[in-house]
Amino acid sequence: MMRLPVNSRIAQVYLVSKLKQTIIAVLGVTFGISMYVFMNSFMSGVNEAQNRLAFSTLAHVHIYNDRPADRSDLVSRAFPPGTIANVRNPKIIKYTDGIKNTQEIIHYLHQQPEVTAIAPEVNISVFFKNAGNKVNGTLSGVDVAAEDRLFNNTAMMVEGNWKELARRPDGIIVGIELAKNLSLKVDDNLNILTSDGVSRTYKVIGTFRSNLSSVDKAKAYLSITATRQLLAANQDYITDIQVNIVDFEKTKALVRRIAPIIPYKVESWQMANAQLEAGSNLRDVIAVAVSLTILIVAGFGIYNIMNMMITEKIREIAILKAMGFAGKDVRRIFLTQSIVIGLVGGVIGMALGWLVSDVVNHVPFNVAGLATLPMTYNPKDYILAFSFGLITTFVAGYLPSRKAARIDPVTIIRG
Amino acid sequence: MKQAQTTNSAPPPILRAGSLVKYFYEPEKFQVLRNISFEVRKGEFLALVGKSGSGKSTLLYVLSTMDTDYEGQLEIDGIKLTGRSQNELAAFRNDHIGFVFQFHYLLPEFSVLENVMLPALKRKKLSRAEIQEKAYQHLTMLGLKDQALKRSDKLSGGQQQRVAIARALINDPAIIMGDEPTGNLDSKNSRVVFDIFRDLAAAGDQTIIAVTHDEDFAANCDRVLELSDGLLLK
Repeated sequence: MMRLPVNSRIAQVYLVSKLKQTIIAVLGVTFGISMYVFMNSFMSGVNEAQNRLAFSTLAHVHIYNDRPADRSDLVSRAFPPGTIANVRNPKIIKYTDGIKNTQEIIHYLHQQPEVTAIAPEVNISVFFKNAGNKVNGTLSGVDVAAEDRLFNNTAMMVEGNWKELARRPDGIIVGIELAKNLSLKVDDNLNILTSDGVSRTYKVIGTFRSNLSSVDKAKAYLSITATRQLLAANQDYITDIQVNIVDFEKTKALVRRIAPIIPYKVESWQMANAQLEAGSNLRDVIAVAVSLTILIVAGFGIYNIMNMMITEKIREIAILKAMGFAGKDVRRIFLTQSIVIGLVGGVIGMALGWLVSDVVNHVPFNVAGLATLPMTYNPKDYILAFSFGLITTFVAGYLPSRKAARIDPVTIIRG
Repeated sequence: MKQAQTTNSAPPPILRAGSLVKYFYEPEKFQVLRNISFEVRKGEFLALVGKSGSGKSTLLYVLSTMDTDYEGQLEIDGIKLTGRSQNELAAFRNDHIGFVFQFHYLLPEFSVLENVMLPALKRKKLSRAEIQEKAYQHLTMLGLKDQALKRSDKLSGGQQQRVAIARALINDPAIIMGDEPTGNLDSKNSRVVFDIFRDLAAAGDQTIIAVTHDEDFAANCDRVLELSDGLLLK
């Protein structure tokens, strides 16, 4: 009947005898914690889905030949200030296109421990022409197998087979929207016009959908060898190197290490797409703000209920003190109650949070390659929610319990 | 009596109050207790009487160690209590003092047995089984054995007051203090409670100090201390 220590036993009786109040307090915590779990799971699900989408066309690190420095004022470099010069219509010598020593750079990249995949590319701006229709876009010459490792192109194919591209120097794979705009079907011919005025016709062997409309509308893939032939470039020529690493969040260290050694622009995805990172950080802030607000409201609920209970029990507290219970015993009795409320509410809240997440995760959402609303199930979110819940209930219970501990039995008993 | 005690070389007093002075500050400064000194022998059954406002209840709460805002000295069972911390005094009350109030002040949500056991569970000197056995002994002595497992608020007023006495006795206190212990009872139940006190004092182990309005009650005590305007009358 009474196996608990006496202070805990009193806390237990108070909790059970005011079951309705206890349940309301527990529900407050439950709601706060389940919202915390759900909001954070959902937001990180959204972030993950967005990253997955972004990395379907974006590599973690991108190496390319940046434009040369500003050369519009060369005179001041060669002559002392104040020199009067008359230069009209200056022309600059063509700088080297693309990346030199590609084999060495790729070999060096392969030695980096975190690098998981490397894809060399030749990217050029072209016109896609089908009879009268003309669309401006990017032609990407790719190492078919390497590209697939980075971006999983096989999964993006709507028609045709990605691997076919390696065997077909005359084959081209076009974005689904681009194909539509040019009224192209598989096995139709597509004419390419380069900026140098070279024109060549390829056969459409497949279409792809990346779910990024800017890409689907204006991109086509050719094998890298065929692209070099189109440009009359040597068999070492590339314009871009795309690199993926183990953890896409940890690009900084790699960039810092390899940038001084590679004489080209080394750019992480965060540098190139600050809006992606900003978006995901903002979503995290919203999730935490909303759920903490709910927890604080729950905390006020507990604070109120505990205060009410202490007012109701004020005579009993005075009697306990008369019988020899010290202030710290009384504090422990009421603190135990709020901690129990926090623990019970926390456990139920985690379960409810998981349940809500799972239900929402099954809501159909057919946008940008998703089938249902995205969701993550990260133990860290659950642990954090539980800890925040416990801290809130502890604080909410501590203040009233301190008040109870300070009750002067004489004034209460004498009335 | 004081003299008789010293000349007979009786055991030392269980309670010694020296020059107790106490003021109330609300609504204005007012002296409630004026230089009160007395001693109580072990096993004595003492009544504190006086008109309302005479300071008798105030004196009882000073003696009970719950009210620490006084001048003078208080000693119980040879232990000086003046100037001790609230926590020390709480532990002291737990060990040495049992209380019976005008209203029983049981914890209504607990069973009768648990109410009786609480002070002993707090004291932690005996095992739970021993405490339970002792609580049953006291309840049996007070004729409440059958009620032990009921919720305490299901009992009648007289029964509840007897439970409160059992609770006051559970730690074998040196002194039982009563604040109008029969004030809320009919004459039959008053008689019962008085007889219990009488028996406890007669057995010689327990000292009883009770504030009372009840003249019958006071008349049958060993000694009556009367207060008037904060002064002890003989």
